[in-house]
Amino acid sequence: MPAHAEDVAHIGVTLRPGRAYAAVVHGDTVVPVEPVAPARADADGVIAAAVATATRVAGGADAVTVDIAPLLLDTLLRPDGGIPPVAVVRIVPRAATDPELARSPAEAVERAIARRFTVAGGHDLLGNELCPLDRSALASLCAELPGTGIRHVAVVAAGSQARPAHEREVADAILAAVPGARVSVASDYGGQGLVAREATVVLDCALTPLTERVLDRCERTLARLPGDVVLRVARGDGGYSTPSRIRVTPVVAFGATDALELCGAAHLAVLADCRVLLPREGRRLAGEVRHRLAVVRPAEPVGLGTELVVPTAVLTPEPEERPGGLPPRAADVPAIRPDADRYLLACVGAAISRPASWLDEVAFIESAAELDRVRRDAEERATAMVMANGAAPGTTHIAEISTVAVPYSPSGTIRVRVRVAGAPDVRLAGG
Amino acid sequence: MTAPAGYVGATASITADDVPALYEGAKFYSPAVGDAGRSSVSAWLAGLLERNGPVPLLRVESVAPDTPCVSVCVLGSGSAMADLPPAGDEFVAAVRQIERLQRVRFGAIYPLAAATISALVAVVTAAQLRVPLLDADGMGRTFALIHHTAMHLAGVSPTPLVAVGPTGESVLVEVPSGPRADRLLRGNVDTVGGWAALAAYPTDAGTLRRAALPGTVSRIANVGRLLLDRPDPDVLVTRLGAITGCRRVARGRITELEHLSRPSDVTIPAHPSSLVVEEIDGLTRQLRIELRSEIVAVFADGALIAGAPDLMCLLDVSRGALATLDSLEPGDLVDVLVTPADAVWYSPEGMEMVGLASHGIPLAHPRRR
Repeated sequence: MPAHAEDVAHIGVTLRPGRAYAAVVHGDTVVPVEPVAPARADADGVIAAAVATATRVAGGADAVTVDIAPLLLDTLLRPDGGIPPVAVVRIVPRAATDPELARSPAEAVERAIARRFTVAGGHDLLGNELCPLDRSALASLCAELPGTGIRHVAVVAAGSQARPAHEREVADAILAAVPGARVSVASDYGGQGLVAREATVVLDCALTPLTERVLDRCERTLARLPGDVVLRVARGDGGYSTPSRIRVTPVVAFGATDALELCGAAHLAVLADCRVLLPREGRRLAGEVRHRLAVVRPAEPVGLGTELVVPTAVLTPEPEERPGGLPPRAADVPAIRPDADRYLLACVGAAISRPASWLDEVAFIESAAELDRVRRDAEERATAMVMANGAAPGTTHIAEISTVAVPYSPSGTIRVRVRVAGAPDVRLAGG
Repeated sequence: MTAPAGYVGATASITADDVPALYEGAKFYSPAVGDAGRSSVSAWLAGLLERNGPVPLLRVESVAPDTPCVSVCVLGSGSAMADLPPAGDEFVAAVRQIERLQRVRFGAIYPLAAATISALVAVVTAAQLRVPLLDADGMGRTFALIHHTAMHLAGVSPTPLVAVGPTGESVLVEVPSGPRADRLLRGNVDTVGGWAALAAYPTDAGTLRRAALPGTVSRIANVGRLLLDRPDPDVLVTRLGAITGCRRVARGRITELEHLSRPSDVTIPAHPSSLVVEEIDGLTRQLRIELRSEIVAVFADGALIAGAPDLMCLLDVSRGALATLDSLEPGDLVDVLVTPADAVWYSPEGMEMVGLASHGIPLAHPRRR
């Protein structure tokens, strides 16, 4: 018999470069996990201690949700982080003539790039071909790439969200030239902005080896422990996904910690909707929780220097105290200043996280009926994605949907964004 | 000449350090498109200013009247430009094509619209050509069509004009009538990728003294610096009010986004859509905000309280930053801000061209009642 989600504890773990932290959540009870010497404070030791704590508190846990984002960021920002060299293939009608336009504005992203190629091709936002794919340039690329020793390749084409044909043809050719290469294509992520889409697939490639090592280690640890506790991985939007999904899309786990801290703070305050003021280096950063989900956007993660197309929590510096004489700010949700340690907030947020998915794309409509069809189609695909991320059948719901007209575009061009959440599929756990 | 209200001093030159303020201020005057291309465009401009040196920003009156000048802007969609960034030579190519045609050498650049990415590409072009930028523009904000300018109202022709797409393809338009030029261009812009670098309104500085809107580039830098400070939203609105005349008409949460909510005129980009905002304090009114590529009208409980050519924008209260129209979501808490446009737009000719009636809303403007 599958266990009921409320019968068992949930474990949240945040993995930092120096040590790991964990918390066990069982209903309203939150138990921080403190490994007692000589237990180790690394991932293995903390996960083992957390499972033991869950057994003591609630008779067992169904899952461990790990936040690997701090490790990913640390690896990316350290010059000696050990990330693999990445080749980037840009598919656009013309190569950039200005050096700044030919590179990523983010140093951390550019540092990961060992080689850049431009292949003529690409489509507009609605999928109309702007330039035929330059197969001669592609052949040259495929002849050169094997000799470079590069095995991680990021491919981004203009307009591939609408028509990925050029991107796929390039990816197929690279795989034929470099068997076993890890190729990440931008059309897998949707979103807007070539530079943001390129940075997303570069990180996807660069973070693959570390992600695999960390998840392998977590799974080995859980396999050695009693019970049948499954592993989940926190996403940048504060939801979770399965390890198998994160192995092929590691960038989705990037920047998860902020969203987890927001959700953790709201959970501890027993609030579904609130504004959270998180302490950061002597000041407060503000974020929001709506319907128990962190407010997220595709944006520039703090410290990265470029936008990504995978959504992360929106944190903004909270202004200093309001000048005297101003009445209190008009607001319709409470603002909270969590006292708990930020590591505990992240662990609680991970423990209570839910499977989630996100979709962001451009479509064209000519009537209200067509708008309905586009929305339904987007909802269905986002729902399929959340099921793949571990949601139980029948539990998914549309957490957010927005369709906005794209300004200064042909009449009928819309941007569709859908966020779907679900409940954990407890049949995946032994309880 | 009398300084405009809220004048806080012009900028003598634009350096790489000014780029973030220019970007934010340009967004205030046209909050249509989000930040998908922000880091790329900012890095491009900052790199140029570091390599080529600061761009002098000159009042039109300080430039010799016979100096040939030309305006530039991004024609089309900022979203398309973010997804298909410039190769980098499009704006210079457009300017050079007009120079060859007219056998002139332009001595200064000015933005067709000192707002959105168009404000930044004018600085880019001036830096690339190593000529000064004029502290003036044709719109003082953004309007949908290229003849919606103070120059057009003053009888200056937008042509000959050249549009160069990111594909490297270009279009030269020579027509006697400004509105015809826009219609001829739109189809070409879609074909070259959804946006194009436009060079238009070639004229001289003497003509621009009477035909362009002065001080609009330094104004966006001043507004941008305020926005970058990210003070408390109430403080921000007060400070913005001091230099732009803007005021907050409501604070509320977005509850609904609707499409195709009014009859569509296909000659104007972006179809009509609407936003419903529930005011959270004060009179707890229901606001209906009518959109095109910009906000064109605001109704409160059915009564028109602001409308084009007023500049209307939304401030995301939670983030203390402007909410761009391509990334609005139900649940967002926003301040609805209304700023008077430059006076020329409230003249009978200006109202006819860009007022409420041009958006299919045949109501008297609130400022005229």
